[in-house]
Amino acid sequence: MKHARILHNDVELDVTVNDQGDLVTAEGQTISEADVTWLSPIKEPGTIFALGLNYADHAAELAFEPPKEPLVFLKGANTLTGHKQNAYRPDNIEFQHYECELVAVIGKEGKNISRENAMDYISGYTICNDFAIRDYLENYYRPNLRVKSRDSLCPIGPWLIDKEDVGDISDLKLTTHVNGELTQEGTTKDIIFDVPFLVEYLSKIMTLKPGDLIATGTPKGLKDMQPGDKVVCTIEKIGSLETHIVSEETFYGDKY
Amino acid sequence: MSTNPIVKGKLVCVALNDQQQLQDLNATFNEAPYKSAPTQPVLYFKPHNTWNTDGASIEWQEETLVVGASLTVVFGEECCRTSAEDALKYVAGYTLMHDFSLPEKSYYRPDIKGKCLDGSAPIGAAVASASDVADPQTLTVVTQVNGETVGEQSVSDLHRGVAELISTISYIMTLQPGDAIAVGFPGNRHPVKQGDKVTSSIAGVTELTNVVEA
Repeated sequence: MKHARILHNDVELDVTVNDQGDLVTAEGQTISEADVTWLSPIKEPGTIFALGLNYADHAAELAFEPPKEPLVFLKGANTLTGHKQNAYRPDNIEFQHYECELVAVIGKEGKNISRENAMDYISGYTICNDFAIRDYLENYYRPNLRVKSRDSLCPIGPWLIDKEDVGDISDLKLTTHVNGELTQEGTTKDIIFDVPFLVEYLSKIMTLKPGDLIATGTPKGLKDMQPGDKVVCTIEKIGSLETHIVSEETFYGDKY
Repeated sequence: MSTNPIVKGKLVCVALNDQQQLQDLNATFNEAPYKSAPTQPVLYFKPHNTWNTDGASIEWQEETLVVGASLTVVFGEECCRTSAEDALKYVAGYTLMHDFSLPEKSYYRPDIKGKCLDGSAPIGAAVASASDVADPQTLTVVTQVNGETVGEQSVSDLHRGVAELISTISYIMTLQPGDAIAVGFPGNRHPVKQGDKVTSSIAGVTELTNVVEA
């Protein structure tokens, strides 16, 4: 089942998405996608973990040795926005790129979870686009919050899909299209530290809780983004997440 | 592990904000992997599994545990892209935070192993209303372990002050009511051992006490 959250006539609703792509409310009412604003599918996001350099090909692209231990960083919930929403390009920067990522959603609290039992703690999956602004990288807690914790720069969705509906996640194709052109292509087969490994690794450090998210990193294929660009991140068996790039001024409006 | 009634959203901590510490590490920061001193505030999150309260005991980690205390600003209003001049208007009040962690050996990569331990971020005890604190720059955080003073950090000795930090951070991320920023810790984090009682205080504002689990 696909679970989404939407804004419809100014009301936040939890809906499911059927095979025709219609949104169905808890009362069974069907709503057309055209009439809604998509929200982040995670109602109360907990800790947002993200992985750096977790695809061997991407690490090589950035001229890094593949890490021997996961490179984990945290993101604030201010970064999350829904499907078909705006994300902004900061003023006066040279290079902002998308990162299409498989996100595993924690469904059950646990500490010291073994790799063997790890999947029992996952409720499902979604997609995120973990944008990065390379101009802002500094060698302190890299990648730092200035790069990775900006408003709107982690679109997520369109929905959370139950893990049973996806099955094996060890070879899912990922693609990113910018304005219709294929710019990133990879498979989860190239993930260095997989979901069961990460659940074991993180839960050895800290308690994982429902609503915690693990964004598992991105394959190679970086490209700069500009206002006006439409970016679509697709993961096989999960869906496609669309994002519209706008300027900082457009994004913040009166607050700019 | 207990939740905390003060912090609801993001708990942002500022590392490397002690002027003396920055001076002491300057040579190190010009070498690999850093290559140059930080030009921006060095920030980290303490995620929700770390949040804890005054009086809570802190889980022992079978390794060296260190503690630092910081003045902590709690937001009362949404704060997005504010100037330093206007920054304090968004503050609901001031409190304290203890950051229990593994020793800070490197600042190169996010320190998930060191900083994300369950219950390692007690916040409290009380929040002093912003209207009762004329100028947060005049405050001093004193930390005692088993009654002996081990740390004293004047906010005015921080490399970046409270209003400047709020402004800079509010241009990275919109801060919401219930978000908090721990503005700076003494450069020398103090080692603690099982059974130690750690008390930090800001005169006239609040006091925070935690005991390391025996």
